[in-house]
Amino acid sequence: MTLDKLKGLEELNQLSFSEDEKSSVIKIFENMNENEKILGEYNTDNTDVMVHVMPMTNVLREDVRKQPFSRDDLLKGAPEHTEDSWQVPRLVK
Amino acid sequence: MSYYVTEIDTKGNIAVDDTLLVKDVLSTAGSHILEGFAPLFSAEVVERVQKAGYTVSGKANVGEFGLDLVGEFSNKAATKDGSLVGAAAQLVAEGSVKAALGVDLNGAPRRAAALSKVNFIKPTYGTVSRYGVIPCACSGEQVGVYAANIADLKQVLSVISGHDDKDGTSLQHDSYDYDTDLEVKGTKVCIIKELLSSADDSVKASVSAYAEKLRKCGVVVEEVSFDMVNAAQTAWQILMAAETCNNLSRYDGVKFGYRTPNYNNIDELYVNTRTEGLNFLTKATIIYGSDVLSKGRYNDCYDKSLRVRRLVVEQIKKLLGDFDAILTPVCSKAEYKPYDIAEAFTKVFDESRYTAIANLTGIPALVSGGVQLMGSYFDESLILSLAKCVERVSE
Amino acid sequence: MKYEVTIGLETHVELATNSKIFCACGGHSSANEPNDCVCPACSGMPGMLPVMNKSVVELAVTAGLMLNCDINRYTTFDKKNYYYPDLPCAYQITQLFNPICVNGKVQVKTNSGVSEIGIKQIHMEEDAGKLVHDEWTDTSLVDFNRTSVPLIEIVTHPDFHSAEEVVAYLEMLKSMFRFGNISECEEGAMRCDVNISVRPEGATELGVRAEIKNMSSLASIERAIKYETARHIDALERNTEVLVQETRRWDDTKGRTFAMRNKETEADYRYFPDPNLMPIVIDDEWLNEIKAKMPVSAEEKAKEYADAGISDKEIEMLTAERNLCDILDEVVALGCSAKEVAAWILTDCAGILRKNALLLSDLHIAPEKLAKIIKMVNDCKINRGAGKRVLGAVIENDVDPEKYCKDNGLDVQVDQGFIEGVVDRAIENNPAAVSDYKGGKVKAFQALLGACMKELRGAGDPTVIKALLEQKLNK
Repeated sequence: MTLDKLKGLEELNQLSFSEDEKSSVIKIFENMNENEKILGEYNTDNTDVMVHVMPMTNVLREDVRKQPFSRDDLLKGAPEHTEDSWQVPRLVK
Repeated sequence: MSYYVTEIDTKGNIAVDDTLLVKDVLSTAGSHILEGFAPLFSAEVVERVQKAGYTVSGKANVGEFGLDLVGEFSNKAATKDGSLVGAAAQLVAEGSVKAALGVDLNGAPRRAAALSKVNFIKPTYGTVSRYGVIPCACSGEQVGVYAANIADLKQVLSVISGHDDKDGTSLQHDSYDYDTDLEVKGTKVCIIKELLSSADDSVKASVSAYAEKLRKCGVVVEEVSFDMVNAAQTAWQILMAAETCNNLSRYDGVKFGYRTPNYNNIDELYVNTRTEGLNFLTKATIIYGSDVLSKGRYNDCYDKSLRVRRLVVEQIKKLLGDFDAILTPVCSKAEYKPYDIAEAFTKVFDESRYTAIANLTGIPALVSGGVQLMGSYFDESLILSLAKCVERVSE
Repeated sequence: MKYEVTIGLETHVELATNSKIFCACGGHSSANEPNDCVCPACSGMPGMLPVMNKSVVELAVTAGLMLNCDINRYTTFDKKNYYYPDLPCAYQITQLFNPICVNGKVQVKTNSGVSEIGIKQIHMEEDAGKLVHDEWTDTSLVDFNRTSVPLIEIVTHPDFHSAEEVVAYLEMLKSMFRFGNISECEEGAMRCDVNISVRPEGATELGVRAEIKNMSSLASIERAIKYETARHIDALERNTEVLVQETRRWDDTKGRTFAMRNKETEADYRYFPDPNLMPIVIDDEWLNEIKAKMPVSAEEKAKEYADAGISDKEIEMLTAERNLCDILDEVVALGCSAKEVAAWILTDCAGILRKNALLLSDLHIAPEKLAKIIKMVNDCKINRGAGKRVLGAVIENDVDPEKYCKDNGLDVQVDQGFIEGVVDRAIENNPAAVSDYKGGKVKAFQALLGACMKELRGAGDPTVIKALLEQKLNK
């Protein structure tokens, strides 16, 4: 991990670190990159990915419309909102 | 010292971790970024305990999104005699409540139970609904139960488990019949050598003492080698961090919770909200999780971890074919002292060595008497029966 | 030098379902106001989990079959990560690794001939919300009604070589999906990303590719392709600029494309499989079930109508709207003839709708009611004029045809004696007209007939009345 790459990751994830934190993060990556090597020791050429530990398929719901929550309740916790919408700084200038 | 972030009912008999939603009650997952967030619905497990006649006492403090050791990096970290303790576990230990519900995504409730000398079970993945869990690592997190004894643990676990349509990963069984009185005489339990050798002497001693009690119950206990400990630990760290990165990206100051006062445009709103609202451990987890998903690293890290997960599942199934249960430490030390958050990522990773197998594979894990028993999928009854037998011989 | 333009399309089509793809909220088409079809899940709140809508799978498979695709029997969902205020969770659930349909092809007809377009894949995904920019408050308002509305994205191979082909393909998709009830395909429900490159004719390598994002009107797409083609040719021929692979945006008012900021285009989306959504397995049984429910195509329908004696022009009008065919088929099933039903729909219904400033596509009528009206007219219970009046009331206020007739005296079981009385009164009360008629003014007959009809208020068979009146006058 380099400071430059870290900057890219910070931007991608919409957060930033102080200088001290940056050096801590780089140390974390050094440690983890070392630990990751263990994975390479296992041959997985004939092993499929396992996204779900329980083998289920076709978990589907019927196409029925329900609307149990009210807009006012949803907006109540918004940091900034109008009577019908969430509000953010204007995107197009 | 109060272990609650929000107290609901002083006469309540069940506490819930702050990572579980309770309708209209502040639910912050220990994070500043969820400041003021009062959900519109309760977690399925909360609904179920309430329907069964329990009263929720309050929201127990957790570390931010449950990512730390036992809750040390949160709004309201707790210590006892200068050592770290988990809030829900401590409430149970002190007898304030009969039981508590916790979310286990990287072992925090299991560690907390060990430190407070109570029981915690992370049941088989898919047996308990995750509806209403503030999510981090969906593929391996489960709601579990803390209780002072096995009988109470079983009772609450029976209430919360069973199919829920609102969780697409919830298994089809309507309910599970847990039996804590199975005949354990003649059953075989193995101790994973690699997990014993990395722990402190005091921890080794308590594992040995537990093994002795098991033997008194007529259980055969043997030490075996399981060579995928490091791989399981790393694979879970990668999956957990990536899923956490993804699940926590919704906290951006737009829809609910904390919004920075310092912004002139949307980018500043995002960056400052997240930078001010999340702690360093969470941010480091997000950054690591983002990196393992990135173009150049996906195949060797994330995809590889998903494949290694299958290998670990196969190996664990094999081991649990030869043995009925696995006995391991759950922490490397008998107690944790407060420490600097800059070290948190590595410290939690190191300690996840003991807990990652159960999150990665979804097998049930029970902490009792300060040690961990893991069993086959859906075989909660056996590990509960083993712990109950030990409980009996300890009296 | 001659140039060849090569185009590939990614078309997003909003599916016509009752509820969203992963939650039970209604789609934005059922919304009346901003954020009135929203729940904690589709507004990004933590705790709710996605549960897949079965109809979405079936509509996606149906679309795939229409486009001659192979259906992937094992299909999975992935998460795509990026930040934008219209994306409440900062990820979109889509399909990268195992899309639902692959390897399709369709034929596209233009004036210059027929060309075959390869379909690379179709995948299911959720839509994003909408932003409304408010200059007065300098804010953007976020509306999540469209968030999680189900989409299919149809990705073609770079098989198009002109804007005409692209437009013909999109028009075909539109009518196919509308007719098959896959999508309403209304304004904005079909959106396109256009990948375009230009090379000298005969060159083996493709030229530098530009992607023009998110266009919904066919006219804009056509203009954008023409603009881009010219821009590329200029660059190649006169070195007006160095072409780079990039994403561009079409500005309809300025009539040109603009490069988008790098930040928006070079993001690493960090796709990964969604742990909350289980794989979907489409076995033979389910596939056959979907195939059995496949709607007949417009072409098949046209043939059927031609056999029933409906005119070509009428067929063209009917098959433009799936809804009209459905109404017609159901009325025919209730015992009316296809030819006469076609006339009732295309003439009478259309006329009533036009009066209300509506189009045939807006027609909503219970087939049983239309059948009833047609039968009442055929059985001479009411005359055709009264039938039209009832039809108007049914279309406008959804009244019960029989009750309406009774309430408005249209259904009087007119016996000969009653009509005779009416005719006698008309003659008695209009002596001037009677003498005019007798004096040879044929027009006066119409006035007398009108007087009868007025009293009968549309009831009674006009031919019977006419005969009776003539008989009495000529006595």
